Amino acid sequence: MIALAALPVILATLLIGARGVATLRSTSDFLVASRRISPTLNAAAVSGEYLSAASFLGVAGLVVKNGVGALWYPVGFTAGYLLMLVLVAAPMRRTGALTVPDFAEARLGSPRLRRFSALVVLVIAGLYLVPQFTAAGQVLRVVGGSPYWVGVVVAGASVAITLALGGMRAATYVQAFQFVLKLVLFIVPALWLLLAVGADTRHQALHPAEYSRFPVATEVQFRLDTRLEVLEPITVLADGVPLTLGPGEHVAPEEGRWVFPADGRVPGIRGVALPGSESWQRPLLDTAGSGHPLLATWSVLVATALGTMGLPHVIVRFHTSPDGRSARRTAAITVGLLGTFYLFPAVYGLLGGILLPELYLSGGTDTAVVALPSRVDPGVAGTVFTALLTAGAFAAFLATSLGLVLAMAGAVAHDLLPGGLRRLRVSAIATTAAVVPLALFAARIDVGAVVTSAFAVAASTFCPLLVLGIWWRRLTARGAFVGMAVGLLSSAGVMGASLLLRPDPGLGALLLGQPALWSVPLAFLTMIAVSLAGHPPPGAESTMLRLHLDETRSDA
Amino acid sequence: MTRQRRVTVTSPQTAVVLTARRGGVSVPPRRLSAAERERAERIRRRQLRLAACTLAGGAALLVGLPALLHVAPVLLALRIADVPVAWLAVAVLPYPLLATLAWWQLGRAERTER
Repeated sequence: MIALAALPVILATLLIGARGVATLRSTSDFLVASRRISPTLNAAAVSGEYLSAASFLGVAGLVVKNGVGALWYPVGFTAGYLLMLVLVAAPMRRTGALTVPDFAEARLGSPRLRRFSALVVLVIAGLYLVPQFTAAGQVLRVVGGSPYWVGVVVAGASVAITLALGGMRAATYVQAFQFVLKLVLFIVPALWLLLAVGADTRHQALHPAEYSRFPVATEVQFRLDTRLEVLEPITVLADGVPLTLGPGEHVAPEEGRWVFPADGRVPGIRGVALPGSESWQRPLLDTAGSGHPLLATWSVLVATALGTMGLPHVIVRFHTSPDGRSARRTAAITVGLLGTFYLFPAVYGLLGGILLPELYLSGGTDTAVVALPSRVDPGVAGTVFTALLTAGAFAAFLATSLGLVLAMAGAVAHDLLPGGLRRLRVSAIATTAAVVPLALFAARIDVGAVVTSAFAVAASTFCPLLVLGIWWRRLTARGAFVGMAVGLLSSAGVMGASLLLRPDPGLGALLLGQPALWSVPLAFLTMIAVSLAGHPPPGAESTMLRLHLDETRSDA
Repeated sequence: MTRQRRVTVTSPQTAVVLTARRGGVSVPPRRLSAAERERAERIRRRQLRLAACTLAGGAALLVGLPALLHVAPVLLALRIADVPVAWLAVAVLPYPLLATLAWWQLGRAERTER
């Protein structure tokens, strides 16, 4: 029943999308709405596109799982737009390039670099898109009881149809509408929750006690195979069968439904802080259990703040501004809009840590936001707010997915296999068709973690390309190519290797799992060193300097 | 919103690149005049200096604040309106600071261009 809450969102998306169809004429129309969008509308669209499932659900979930330090993620997400404003927005818009690969060719005149950039776009957008679809499947499963694949397929279908019908012009209105929708659907339930939980729970949330004993008999449905560290002997009902666990390590099977007895000692999970514990309360991140919370926090901040400018779906959005100046204003307004939204994940995270601490065991922390209302009020009000949050969450992954599929379709149809409007439409559908099966197999991933890896890749590849391309005259095509290749290997390659190798928690695991702290400087240095060894292409200096002239008066 | 005729807008530079690709030849981009060049170089230098200031502010926030929280765990015991100061420092404080920095940077960058 509650799953139907997603329906109005999908319908509104399709309607607003369809409104764009009549006026859709050229490739440029499809991609950037012919650049006729005001800074405020565009900033709302940027924010709407940017606030993905990772922001709507993931941040609060990470607070339940990793503690208050997870609130650094949204700080980095917002700071990304400050860096965008300072370094990229206006000059990037003035290149007139439609996408990052387009920028690479316009600035450095190398078709090879363009194709390589298009491949990087596919990597980043893929890493970002798969978890969005995964989140869609999980949320509909939790609130509506529908199988995982239904949510994924429904999300995929609505994304592909909207894009194929209306393209970016549609997406601009859709995204702006969705930003307002998400803001309201996130803030109103948060305020209701704060009032409805009562003074007692509010006090507990601000003075959390360690979740060391189950207060009542607690059912946990494990989302993944989970290694539990049992400290005191405990008898659980494993799928209805009593099972006594001695002290030591035990593995709870995926999809297992275990009931822990009241007053039993809560088992530990290696590398994860118990909700309410001292390290959970500390406002620094220690995701890999590395024992280096400061380094881990910095690494996440570097990845998110520097990665934002390289996200392909965000960059293309700045080209819908009419000129460099309004692109810059768009970035500035976006900082304010995002800051307003990100004041609220803390509410869900802190309440979730008190009211739903068992999610820490089940691994289902991504569903904390939509699970909270019914925990607070099992009656009608709880159901209504669950429905509202479900609609908001669906809006979140729909909005982001639209931009991502568009960016991927653009990379294929604009850069890899240049073609007309028809090919772009076909690419949008083909891209979605390719991602949906990936998401079906990715039911087990952690939404927040995978999205952050997309930021790390963007920060290690496109960030140096854009910053040096805009501000440094000596950049060469070869330098850009080698630097991006090194950045791609040291971010995506290293993270992939660490998934396979599964290093023990510690400094090594931190540097492999969150490489941004060293991979970004490495990519910058490589790009600079290789460029210094060669000669910039002729005319490159003019090309770069022109990016800093205000185009509205350079005609004079 | 008034209905206007929608035209495809492409910057001269992209048009050059696109034409070149279609024709199979590469056309060098239009050169800047000496005056434009001088002005662009001046603006770029000033913008770079301005960017360095704003980035220093942003870095102080993103690098300094976690470091401060790391070395001063006492902030977790201090409370304002019953909320630990250390929590406010990560959940609330950065957003108005970032917005202020952004606003300041926007105004300065636009003035530099004039």
